[in-house]
Amino acid sequence: MNGTKYRVYLDWDWWLAAPCLCLIAIGGLAIYSINYNNPSLGNYWWQHLVTGVVGMGLVALLARWHYPHLLTWHWLIYALTNVSLVLVLQFGVVASGAQSWLNVAGFHLQPSEFAKISLIITIAALLHRQPVQSGGDLWRVLLVVFPTWLLVLIQPDLGTAIVILAITMGMLYWGGTPLSWLLLLSSPLISAVILAFSLPLWFVWLVTIGVIAFWASPDWRTPVTAGAVIVNLISGELGKIAWHLLHPYQRQRLVLFLNPDQDPLGGGYHLIQSRIAIGAGQLWGKGFLQGSQTQLSFIPEQHTDFVFSAIGEEWGFIGSMTVIALFLVLCCRLLVIAVTCRSNFGSLLAIGMLSLLLFQVFVNVGMTIGLAPVTGIPLPFLSYGRAALLAYLLGIGIVGAVGKEEKIC
Amino acid sequence: MAKASLSPRDWLRTVRSDRLMGVWLILMLATAGLLGRLFHLQVQQGKVLRERAQNQQISYIQPFVPRRTIFDRQQQVLAIDRPAYAVFVHGHLLRRPKLEIANALAPFLSQGVEQIVAAIPDQGSIKLVDGLTEETAKRIRALRLDGVELVMERRRYYPQQDLAAEVVGYVNIVDHKGMAGVEMAYDRWLTTTLERYQVQRDGLGRIIPRSVKQQLLVSDRTFLQLTIDQRTQRVARQLLKAAIAKYNAKRGTVLVMDAQTGEMRALVTEPTFDPNRYFDYAQRPEVFKNWAVTDLYEPGSTFKPINVAIALEGGYIQPDSTFYDEGMLTIDGWPVANFDFESKGPPGRLTVSQILERSSNVGMVHIMEQMPPAVYYSWLQKLGLGQPSGIDLPSEPAGQLKNQAQFTTYRIEAATTAFGQGFSLTPIQMLQLHGILASGGKILTPHVVKGIFNEEGELLYKPPIPEPRPVLSPTTTAQVLQMMEAVVEKGTGQPARIPGYRLGGKTGTAQKADERGGYANAKITSFVAIFPTTAPRYVVMAVIDEPLGDDAFGSTVAAPIVKGVIADLIAADGIPPSHPEELHKKTNRLAQPQDQSGVETTPPD
Repeated sequence: MNGTKYRVYLDWDWWLAAPCLCLIAIGGLAIYSINYNNPSLGNYWWQHLVTGVVGMGLVALLARWHYPHLLTWHWLIYALTNVSLVLVLQFGVVASGAQSWLNVAGFHLQPSEFAKISLIITIAALLHRQPVQSGGDLWRVLLVVFPTWLLVLIQPDLGTAIVILAITMGMLYWGGTPLSWLLLLSSPLISAVILAFSLPLWFVWLVTIGVIAFWASPDWRTPVTAGAVIVNLISGELGKIAWHLLHPYQRQRLVLFLNPDQDPLGGGYHLIQSRIAIGAGQLWGKGFLQGSQTQLSFIPEQHTDFVFSAIGEEWGFIGSMTVIALFLVLCCRLLVIAVTCRSNFGSLLAIGMLSLLLFQVFVNVGMTIGLAPVTGIPLPFLSYGRAALLAYLLGIGIVGAVGKEEKIC
Repeated sequence: MAKASLSPRDWLRTVRSDRLMGVWLILMLATAGLLGRLFHLQVQQGKVLRERAQNQQISYIQPFVPRRTIFDRQQQVLAIDRPAYAVFVHGHLLRRPKLEIANALAPFLSQGVEQIVAAIPDQGSIKLVDGLTEETAKRIRALRLDGVELVMERRRYYPQQDLAAEVVGYVNIVDHKGMAGVEMAYDRWLTTTLERYQVQRDGLGRIIPRSVKQQLLVSDRTFLQLTIDQRTQRVARQLLKAAIAKYNAKRGTVLVMDAQTGEMRALVTEPTFDPNRYFDYAQRPEVFKNWAVTDLYEPGSTFKPINVAIALEGGYIQPDSTFYDEGMLTIDGWPVANFDFESKGPPGRLTVSQILERSSNVGMVHIMEQMPPAVYYSWLQKLGLGQPSGIDLPSEPAGQLKNQAQFTTYRIEAATTAFGQGFSLTPIQMLQLHGILASGGKILTPHVVKGIFNEEGELLYKPPIPEPRPVLSPTTTAQVLQMMEAVVEKGTGQPARIPGYRLGGKTGTAQKADERGGYANAKITSFVAIFPTTAPRYVVMAVIDEPLGDDAFGSTVAAPIVKGVIADLIAADGIPPSHPEELHKKTNRLAQPQDQSGVETTPPD
């Protein structure tokens, strides 16, 4: 605080800032390469870099910010988020099947991206005040998350909705929720998935859930156990209904990653082409602008969700490994802050960001290499998407402020 | 859980450190999973996937490579390649009911809707039709039917149908290989080998322009040109067909050779075939062979001028030598008689020219008796008898001559050879022998291909044709030509006479050898002419096999064909008459009926 102006400017957490800078730069290069042969698509790479610079400025500005202010304002943030999500439903611009853009003074804003950060702040504040020590504490958090989640889901932005679930689970875990409760919480979903695959296995699951519920709930043992089993029973059936509520393309995406060759020209096309591109990169990659899959537009929407396939093809295993390593550095730093931060609030903010990054990176990269279904979750810092990039950097900036506040080196 | 002793915040602080392991574990597992999978794809499977990427980006364009066009000597197309299209239907790829597909296709095909429905399989593929034109293919493609595929095939078209089929031959529809004639003999030269070109395609299947090389736009327009003249060929065929029809003959051939180069101006055999529909002749495979090249026959009297030339060249006779023709004699117990001995008796003393004019067998025997058989035999060999002519068409056999020991031992061998029997050769070889007389003593190699030319008409390849080899002196051949001219002017060759012009000729009517070595009743009639006698341009020969009727002779069946062909050559080449004064008397001559009847009263052979 007492240093020169220059000091203040660069007084951010380098462990957080450096990987972000590298990833944004790599993303810019990849987008440049992807659109190299399609100049008509615009200068996405340039917009990506400009947004990145603005975002990093935000990180720098937040570096010395007194983050506990958020504890005062978090309900307001929460409210603004939900209002903007409602506005999107009313006045949003429809793009690729989802109504998720707000046109504000010429800028396309995507409230669902900021909703993720907003929920991280909200959940962190809630758990800071009252960690999950009882079932009631758990339900309170879930109740707060639910409206935002629902608003995102009905846009419909399935990808972000899933990310919100992942963030919530991660933060609940860090906020003291017993593992068994989390298991019970996610059991209906697992139940629905298992029923879709095998009926005998589903019965085994029901019994397991019953046992866990019985063992994990010392207070209302019988009703909790019965409830858990009944909910699982119902959700098996509900799963089927929900399955049919999904768009056919979503249904296909969720299953096809297991065997994309089932429909090589339809839903499996993305997956196959992306896998081929990444594999074709081999160890050292084909070189910048040399990736033929990328240059010949074999992968649709490559500058957004499938940006990693361009990196894999042009920079090879070495490049892929570098990107993963940069994310790992970032995640480790977030974890270090979460562990060493004396304040629960700061710790939970860090864990929220960690959950977000870890989940999105795994699902997005996993999607391009056949480890995860196609869910429309972008790769943080790399995928083209200005609102999303700003949102992530906002999150990083807040956690950076936590690190500085708590004097974590 | 020590809830009671700690405030919730302090409690959470202790719980957090417990949870570290879990988070760390998930982080490591996720990282390991991603890196492991990436390693698998990029390092272990990298090569395979890179190949897969290349395979889908690279496609090959096989330009339509036409087999070279065949032209006649006047640049008329005799054989040309055009793309044709086949329709394949892949049952398992159909997205609409068979009936709908059939209804859509039926207007373009010669099959009915029900027939098409029945032909389409549920699984697998079928070739519904082929040989469709580009226009039809375009319209079918525009229907955009899933599971219906158009495949370009090459088709050879012979716009003149059977006009030169015996020379041009045909190509197999299956592999486009030449199966007969020039198509077969020059297959290597007609097949063009343009490479397929590699181009890049993008994710939408569009060709990337910068991957297209310039050669793609260059095509091979070289062509093969024949020596055959479509006009002469057509005239010769019409005359031959008419003669065959008139005399119910089995088959016939007309050959026209350039007397200086050996180029075949016409080569007609009947019956022949339509190369566009060669498959219709499966029951009559004999039409595919050019029998003028492939089949041996005994030439008979047309061979006599060759013998006279040998005797003159050897100095055994002089042009003014005379021989006593007793009409019939017996050699080694075999009777040898003139064809008209029974009606006319012994003609008495004859000059060499008169022997040819009357086509006297006995006279010829006496001429050749002047030579020792061994010398005679070596002369026959020197002139190429018993050798293939070397014509550039497939399946030519060598002529058959008795072996030297038999020829020299038995008098009858030399005697029968004297009037053209006891040995056999192909019509084209016979033509070659007369080519020696026409060219002033040189052995010419008959051939049908001029060469391969490029678009600009520059010669790229000329078939290796041996240089004309002198075997007789021009003096001798001039003397023989004079005698052959007399044959046409006053002898058996009169039906070939053309007022205003002079040509040398010789008739031939031979009994055909039967399977037992004797002679059957069937005849083979022929006429050979050298035109014009003063500077010969053409050797023309007609052979008609097994004409029926008592009036079927070389002079009646074959000579008029040769005359007709020469008349057309005169018109085509614009050859001025050597004796224009005869043309002024022409009307006069035609008015006199005995001139016409003279043709009939003259001893035919």
